[in-house]
Amino acid sequence: MNLAHLHLLLNHVPTIGFGFGIGLLAASLVRDSEDLRRASYVVFFGVALVAIPAYLSGKAAHYILQTEPDLAQDVVTAHQNAAMLALIPMEIAGFMGWLALWRFRRWHPPAVLVLSIVAVALMARAANIGGQIRHPEILGAGAFAYAPPWPSPAAMGAAFVLDNPWVWPICEVLHFVGLCLLFGVTLLVDLQMAGFINGVPLAAVNRLLPWAMAGLGINIITGMLFFLAAPEQYTQNSAFTWKMGLVLLGGLSLLYPTMFDQEQASTFDMLHAASTRKLIAACSLVIWIGVIFFGRFLPYLGME
Amino acid sequence: MTSVLAQLEQSGLATWIRESGVLYGYPLILFFHTLGLSTVVGLSAAIDLRLLGVASTIPLASLDKVFRLVWAGFALTAATGALLFIADATKHASNPAFFVKLAFVGGGVATVALVRRRVFHGQQHGAFLAAASLACWLVALSAGRLMAYVSEFIS
Repeated sequence: MNLAHLHLLLNHVPTIGFGFGIGLLAASLVRDSEDLRRASYVVFFGVALVAIPAYLSGKAAHYILQTEPDLAQDVVTAHQNAAMLALIPMEIAGFMGWLALWRFRRWHPPAVLVLSIVAVALMARAANIGGQIRHPEILGAGAFAYAPPWPSPAAMGAAFVLDNPWVWPICEVLHFVGLCLLFGVTLLVDLQMAGFINGVPLAAVNRLLPWAMAGLGINIITGMLFFLAAPEQYTQNSAFTWKMGLVLLGGLSLLYPTMFDQEQASTFDMLHAASTRKLIAACSLVIWIGVIFFGRFLPYLGME
Repeated sequence: MTSVLAQLEQSGLATWIRESGVLYGYPLILFFHTLGLSTVVGLSAAIDLRLLGVASTIPLASLDKVFRLVWAGFALTAATGALLFIADATKHASNPAFFVKLAFVGGGVATVALVRRRVFHGQQHGAFLAAASLACWLVALSAGRLMAYVSEFIS
């Protein structure tokens, strides 16, 4: 198993997952079901998280394949550009889905529906171009025809970092600001869930969570800029693979304090919730410390 | 002064940190430094946000215990920071970013202590202190992160 396998495993998730999420959202509108709507937001958030390693592993697959003589480089480039163009609305839709879950009380931004439809259409286009890399039988008029009229945020991002020497250091500063926000707020939430902080309900502490999400957002954007500017530094590094796996788990673990913050009525449910919360808090703490560990060890560990 | 720094830098411990090349040397110290600083800055930022009106349903008294963890994080950051400093003492001592960082870490620590004394155990409304604390940590973090680039620039 290598990262090219992982790309094959993950690359259908964004398109199919978002299609499923849109189906749930549409059904929730027809039946006016709050539960279905929340389910669709969970799907958008989770799939948006998985879409990140799907994109990153694609770059690793490209590295593995680049020595193949019959690899259609222009199709690969068109596929990567199309994927990044789709990833951006997908991440925004996932974030807005999370925000709708967090606000909870009947706040339903129409932007989630619009963005998710835009994202799934762009992702389907990226998938279609990607399919042509290994399936010449479906190759149409030639991939170069895709390239010029579509904006290419991936190439723009890489050029932005490489052409301006101040961008990388500034992004590192911002990456640390994001890290402190994300780690500080999740640590506080974890301390509450573990029972370390008394006299405050989870529902009050979780009002801080958007700041953790803002930190996560800052770090996804700055991290992606690092990746675009120097992809081999990351795709060829196992510490980075571990870090991204843990970021995915950490992001998913944020769903618990977001969604299950209500205090239970019966003593039995309360005790049950307390042990669940302790477990989630311990996992979340280990995960985020692991993220910092592998991030910090990236230059020292796992270089080939 | 310079000779003291050079002596420090040539001590066995400093040489080991710098040159051992093992993962439990310099990289591990750097990891604990990052873990400590993100605990200090992250938790105090969360407290500052609360004082600035975010999540205002959190009772202040419930956060009083959190300061213990902030100080524990600070102890870890300071101890690992001292080790990282002696490993490259002369280089850091000639880096203006390092002194900016130290000054604003001092400012950050002072504001955290003041927040605890005057807001948590006093009557003061903490918005101004909280804003000052956030600003101190932001500058300290930026200067610390930019140290490597500044030292490259001036050498």
